[in-house]
Amino acid sequence: MPRYAMVVDLDRCMGCRACMEACKVENNTPTAAFWMYVFRFEEGEYPNTYIWFMPRPCMHCDNPPCAKVCPVGARYKREDGLVATDWDRCIGCRYCEVACPYGVNYFNWKEPVRNYYLDWGERDVRRVTNGQTPPYRNPDLDRPYGEEKRRVAGGGRLKGVVEKCTFCVQRVEEGLQPACVANCPAFALHFGDLEDPQSSVSQVLGRKHSWRLLEELGTEPRVYYVGAHPAHPESRQIEEVKARV
Amino acid sequence: MKLTRRTFLRTSVAASGSLLAGRLLFGDLETLRAAPRGVPGAVEEWVPTACWIGKQDCGMLARRIDGRVVKLVGHPGHPRNRGTLCPKGAAQIMALYDPNRVKTPLIRTNEKGVPGRWRQATWEEALTLVAQKMREVRAKEPSLLVWQKGRSKAKAFYDEAFVKATGATRLHHGAFCSDAGYRAGEYTVGISGVLHPDFRHCRYLLAWGYNLTNAGGNQLCWITWPQQLIQARERGMKVVAVDPRLRGTAHFADEWLPIRPGTDLALALALCHELIALGAVDREYLARYTNAPFLVQEDGFFLRREGKEQVWDLRAGGPRPHDAGDASPALEGTFVADGKRVKPAFQVLKEHLARYTPEWASEVCGVPTEQIRRVARELAENARIGSTVVVDGVRIPYRPVAIMAYHVSQQELGFQAVRAMLLVVMLLGAVGAVGGQRLDVGPWKVHENFEKLEHVEIKDPPYNVWLKDSKFFPINSNNSSIVAKVMQDPQKYGVKQIPEMVIVHMSNPLVAFASTPDLEEAYRKFKFVVVIDPWLSRTADLFADVVLPASTLEKYEGPLAATDQYVDAVALRVPVMEPLFQSRGEIEIYLDLCEKAGVLYGKDGYLDHLNEALKLKEPYRLPVDRKPTVREIFDRWAKSEGIAEGVAYFEKHGVKIKGAVPATKFYGYATDPPFGGVRHRLYGEALLRYRLEMRERGVPEIYWRDYTPLPTWRKPTMEGSPPEYDLYLVSFKRIEHKQSRSSQVPLLAELARQAYVEINPRTARAKGIRDGEQVWVESHNAVTGETRRVRAVARYRESIRPDTVAMPHHFGGVARHPWADGQGPSPNSLFFTGEGYVANTADQSFHVKVRVYK
Repeated sequence: MPRYAMVVDLDRCMGCRACMEACKVENNTPTAAFWMYVFRFEEGEYPNTYIWFMPRPCMHCDNPPCAKVCPVGARYKREDGLVATDWDRCIGCRYCEVACPYGVNYFNWKEPVRNYYLDWGERDVRRVTNGQTPPYRNPDLDRPYGEEKRRVAGGGRLKGVVEKCTFCVQRVEEGLQPACVANCPAFALHFGDLEDPQSSVSQVLGRKHSWRLLEELGTEPRVYYVGAHPAHPESRQIEEVKARV
Repeated sequence: MKLTRRTFLRTSVAASGSLLAGRLLFGDLETLRAAPRGVPGAVEEWVPTACWIGKQDCGMLARRIDGRVVKLVGHPGHPRNRGTLCPKGAAQIMALYDPNRVKTPLIRTNEKGVPGRWRQATWEEALTLVAQKMREVRAKEPSLLVWQKGRSKAKAFYDEAFVKATGATRLHHGAFCSDAGYRAGEYTVGISGVLHPDFRHCRYLLAWGYNLTNAGGNQLCWITWPQQLIQARERGMKVVAVDPRLRGTAHFADEWLPIRPGTDLALALALCHELIALGAVDREYLARYTNAPFLVQEDGFFLRREGKEQVWDLRAGGPRPHDAGDASPALEGTFVADGKRVKPAFQVLKEHLARYTPEWASEVCGVPTEQIRRVARELAENARIGSTVVVDGVRIPYRPVAIMAYHVSQQELGFQAVRAMLLVVMLLGAVGAVGGQRLDVGPWKVHENFEKLEHVEIKDPPYNVWLKDSKFFPINSNNSSIVAKVMQDPQKYGVKQIPEMVIVHMSNPLVAFASTPDLEEAYRKFKFVVVIDPWLSRTADLFADVVLPASTLEKYEGPLAATDQYVDAVALRVPVMEPLFQSRGEIEIYLDLCEKAGVLYGKDGYLDHLNEALKLKEPYRLPVDRKPTVREIFDRWAKSEGIAEGVAYFEKHGVKIKGAVPATKFYGYATDPPFGGVRHRLYGEALLRYRLEMRERGVPEIYWRDYTPLPTWRKPTMEGSPPEYDLYLVSFKRIEHKQSRSSQVPLLAELARQAYVEINPRTARAKGIRDGEQVWVESHNAVTGETRRVRAVARYRESIRPDTVAMPHHFGGVARHPWADGQGPSPNSLFFTGEGYVANTADQSFHVKVRVYK
């Protein structure tokens, strides 16, 4: 069984937020839901300033506080390391959202089909899309995944459930990189098997000093950062994107 | 065309060869432990195409399920983006289906100058109307028809064949982009482009206004340069950012020179001064490959014998023709020849630079003297003058220092500023050297403008509407805002007839070009306005008589350059599906329009010109008596280019890799003859000639003062604004948007929603302005005294000079779109055009003095 992890190389990240877009399209997430979010930070005072960027997906913790508090077993840790949400089983209690120290859970306040940016009901659009909402609806998301055959892929499912980054389970199970990783123009994101010494994640971790977010909480994230440093109180977020509207 | 992703990737990567197979370090399509399944019962296809939003036409693959496009991803075999897309590319999937696109041709039913009311029309009706107007206007005088270039991605079809077949006046958009830099490059070293490094070998880069994390740099729109820069950084290249605003390059810069806007020329001159003081001068390059040894008389012109420029031969102790192979030319000294005192151009430059000390530049540019000295020292050290290196088996001079500069050239002194930047790298011998300065993304090729710009014949009025060959702008980048000025007062500029009809090709002049009020006045004067656009642009909404809906990715278009500078490649845009609504590809629109206007067939018709523009060879030339399909044209083109499968090759692979550019074509030094056989113009003698002739013809000084043979500093005109206009306004690009044509794409608008003005907190607090507060930004025209103001949200940024504010230029471009509503103004409505803001090469400045208040 592989042990999947992500490595984010902050020496390369250009903060372009293409990963956020690749994720939104691949996973069909509704308006204002960003399973991948890229922080842009400014530090210091003119002229001694520093600007840096930090992508933040779900940490897919080995000790996931979200899974522990889920009363119905909808949130669970898979054997390969992915932390999944079975939206068939989710009751929308939002305990996971409270328990997660990383703020990566998104509750569907609105009916997702009515929360995809525009009204896609247009006759001419429907003719091409067969009424799919959004028009680029990804059919891979509808299949069950894992040994357990549970419905854990994609976003915009039901009003009243919680959704979050799945590490693109629908791609990973097909042998593909998560959408954000595959698309990164700066090649700053790596994803692979920690058990495999030849994988890019193992290679980068072997070469560079790494750290994890809020490591002191003991959540044991599967997302590692190399380069730069964790954000601190003097890191001011710039060009913030409004999420969770 | 049925293809699974895996087989597609395999074939395209194989097609592109091992050159592209390796992504940066790792991560080359690393396969995880897979259990492939696919979508049961569905037809899955991958259509290779090219992004249409930006400039560099990144390769894309459209994933199609049962005919519906569900995703766009980067083409792994495309040299420019290697399997990746920027946020705009990824988000195009939503633009593709946008129900707010223009769905049918529209004909205006209300007066112009106010938001349009429209009647839906058939293509037949709309094109017949447009063609009839074309016939009327062309019957009077073909040049009264204007073709306004915007995002033109098939130059042969639009800029060339259509313009030639109709005899239209062609308006460009480069004067709002980087054309001052292009003219400087063409005139000075003969290469059409601005400045970028040989990233593979460069060790020290001056990122001069290079908005690295948000914009393209020279010629490309983004991904390619950042990818090459990251590799160079990991190799140890040092980056020094020269910019009033650090945001774009911060994370990848070792040092920041926060330069005062509009003073780049001064800094470049001071760097030249220091390099000469340090003795960091590549004398061999200057003597052999530039006009530095040419003898200059006291009147500023070259000493000539029998029409030939002379050098001072140190061995013979007298003047010799510059092309006498055995001469040993002097670079310095004062001599007497033919009874005249003469000096080598380099000596003239040295004396010219004497006043431009780092101390002086420090005052002008607001950058510490020591920093200027240090940068000059580091340039000198890193240039390794005299060293060589073997590339592809050829020994070539090695000068691993360069400048990246592009949009920074659009400032009042832009042409001379870029010329001065070129002087910096010329002194170091870095032009066309390994690791050194490059200007174009293709092979080292001397552009026709190298000669043309030296031999401009200034003509008497009447002039055409963009003042070609005029006494105002002998070197002329074709500026649509100047056209707007001319349209308002043709007599002032010696223009007899102003155009009557304009076809706006994927452009939005009212928002994308500078000085909105002037452009509005000009558009009022056009009797008939046709806009080709997928969305209802602000220009269309206010002034179009007819709007023709263009497709986005649902069309054939090209051929598209695909080189990343190291690999030569060509690509096509291939339709990812049938055109949505009633939209059509632009080429198809032009074919029908030309037919209806009677300019499609026969000699000098559109098809005839297309044969030339596409360089079609027999037996693939288009018959000129039959209307082909667009696909057929590309099929003939591909076959004519030696691609046996024709257009099917591109429908399958998207991009044709021609191979690595060999060192002997890549490096100016290594071409045969070196640099294409031209001498680079350290000294611009023709500029002096134009200056004198302009004066003689009675043109005001404001037009001729920057025509100097050597770049010469003066205070920018905006400095004449009263002191209460205490801030400089600059505009900038954000990575989420492209020009003014993406702010309505919901996925992008969500990331960057509206206009704002960046201000240093120190400045803001002194004015009582809080972060996030609404403010007025008011600009002042130092020549006319006119003021303009807009309302925007203030945003605190430490990474901007306290005397400078900055606004993104993307917003306000699209009408009647739920996501574009209330996005706020474009800074282009605050900039001015005309005297004081357009100088020298008719290039537009994007600098103005403003005040900011609540």
